[in-house]
Amino acid sequence: MKKLKTYLKESKCMNRNLLFSLLFFFANTVQSAEKTSLNSVLIDLNNKPSLQRGAQIFMNNCLGCHTLKYQRYVKFIDHLEMPKDMIEKNLIFTTDKNGKRTKIGSLVLNAVNSDFSKEAFGVVPPDLTLIARSRGPDWVYTFLTSFYEDNSRPFGVNNKLYPNVNMPHVLWWMEGLKAPTSSGSSEYTYVTNGSMSEQEYKKSITDLVNFLTYVSEPAQLDRYKIGFWVILFLTIFAFVAYLLKREYWKDIE
Amino acid sequence: MNKFLVWIDERLPVSNFVKNHLSQYYAPKNFNFFYYFGALAIFIFILQIVTGIFLTINYKPDAASAFASVEFIMRDVEWGWLIRYLHSTGASFFFIVIYLHMFRALLYGSFKNPRELLWIFGMIIFVLLMAEAFMGYLLPWGQMSYWGAQVIISLFGAIPYFGESLATWIRGDYVISDATLNRFFAFHVIALPLLLFALIYLHLAALHTVGSNNPDGIEIKKNKDSDGIPKDGIPFHPYYTVKDTFGLSIFLIIFAFVVFFIPEFGGFFLEKDNFVPANPLQTPEHIMPVWYFTPFYAILRAIPDKLGGVIVMGLSIFVLFIMPWIDRCPVKSFRYRSNTYKILLSLFAISFIGLGYIGMSAPTPILTWVGRLFTLIYFGFFIVLYFTSANEKTKDIPERVKMHE
Repeated sequence: MKKLKTYLKESKCMNRNLLFSLLFFFANTVQSAEKTSLNSVLIDLNNKPSLQRGAQIFMNNCLGCHTLKYQRYVKFIDHLEMPKDMIEKNLIFTTDKNGKRTKIGSLVLNAVNSDFSKEAFGVVPPDLTLIARSRGPDWVYTFLTSFYEDNSRPFGVNNKLYPNVNMPHVLWWMEGLKAPTSSGSSEYTYVTNGSMSEQEYKKSITDLVNFLTYVSEPAQLDRYKIGFWVILFLTIFAFVAYLLKREYWKDIE
Repeated sequence: MNKFLVWIDERLPVSNFVKNHLSQYYAPKNFNFFYYFGALAIFIFILQIVTGIFLTINYKPDAASAFASVEFIMRDVEWGWLIRYLHSTGASFFFIVIYLHMFRALLYGSFKNPRELLWIFGMIIFVLLMAEAFMGYLLPWGQMSYWGAQVIISLFGAIPYFGESLATWIRGDYVISDATLNRFFAFHVIALPLLLFALIYLHLAALHTVGSNNPDGIEIKKNKDSDGIPKDGIPFHPYYTVKDTFGLSIFLIIFAFVVFFIPEFGGFFLEKDNFVPANPLQTPEHIMPVWYFTPFYAILRAIPDKLGGVIVMGLSIFVLFIMPWIDRCPVKSFRYRSNTYKILLSLFAISFIGLGYIGMSAPTPILTWVGRLFTLIYFGFFIVLYFTSANEKTKDIPERVKMHE
């Protein structure tokens, strides 16, 4: 992690050639086709405190690089049951092009220059609005709990689910850092402790994934409830339609 | 009749129309489960038109903003998510309904004399519907939209001499691009719906000229009472309007369940990869067309040669057009036909579903061979039927239709 911070600070004055070689190095990483089994995560979109905590984790740790560019802050008022001023004080940290505080009706964007992040990471960090839909909540959960120490990698970490991923373990300060007990082993022990226990970390990631699942399709909050009433109505309608049909057809032999 | 209606009627034949096509249009009284799907197909067509109009209000046919405009509809447009899910679920249900509607024709011989033209209009509708669905699938501009279109359009490139030029002409570019998206939008929202509307009109006009077939495959017009009304016929209105209303309500329960609870239908109706914006530089691991194309896609893949595959796939659809001349048995309904036909039709249905499964799976050597076997059975159905149907041993057909309830 420290490596990244110093790297980001110094990168502006870094030699172009060095940047190019780093870019080349990162860009050549290949995603392994090997399938790792996913751990399942319990999604509960009615658990508003969980969604709120997830939003907080996202805005504090992820938004620096990743956006939610199809989602608007203002939706959190109803969907996360948070008052407007609480959202403005606790979730909106960015500014617009003119340096003014981002307004609540805005999309959840950041100020990262994509050319710069491509230089830093080899890829532009993807937008995460739909990540829980395209990959699935279990994938995101497993990904965020699968970082381990690997000093052969530029950020000193690797990921078991997504080998050689270009992302540093941003949440290391929460989880700590685990390393395989022996090389090639699938058993891990913590070599650095974070601010949380393993259970607390998993709970926080659950909150984060819960939030991302909500963001991937906010309509989920409505459609189950509305669907129930629609189907109830249609069932009654079908019953009446059946009686009508039977009444008309009783003399047809 | 009240004065206003009389006034209208003197100027427009409204009451005549209602008589000819509803209240005094006689349909066989023994329609069963399979006879709901015609009316349901019309319902879905209207649903797609109406939801489509609302989608175009906010959708942007522009490669740079198409994906975001769909997400805008899903999030910021009032009830936008519902309109979009009705449209996307409607597309898949359209094919479920049409496939059952077509299978009905094979069960009861509804394509036979005097209904050949009715069948051909139906087949044109089916082909137009596939084009409509294919072009519509590009519009969300997701990864699967993009790469699916790329694969299918590149098939035209297999045609010798002018294939590549033809593919470029269709795309308006050397790859799927903004130009392609724009023209597909034009075809999807104007050209093809208009053609579909015209063909559905002709399909119904032909139907009302010859009258409906029925599960017994008997011509009810051959047995009329002294008033000239078919003895086995009942007025479409009110009998079939109330029956279809009941059928529609059952259909809507299933449809609403999918729309509200499982709109992605486990990745069959909305594919996971389509929630990633189109990226011309990154091919998805496994490109597959939407489920309703997979039987034909499997036939394409079963043939080792690209041009050969395209030709055989084209044949697999064309052969259905000439069905009225392949099946030479005068008896229409399978109820009174030989076991040979029943076995052939069952094998055909199994091969079609099997091909559908293979078309959506990643290719493996075993599946490719099973796909070839099913392709053989698919075509074998038509070939064997042509030779066996002319001298088929059939059962006696009853004078009057049977009621099954």
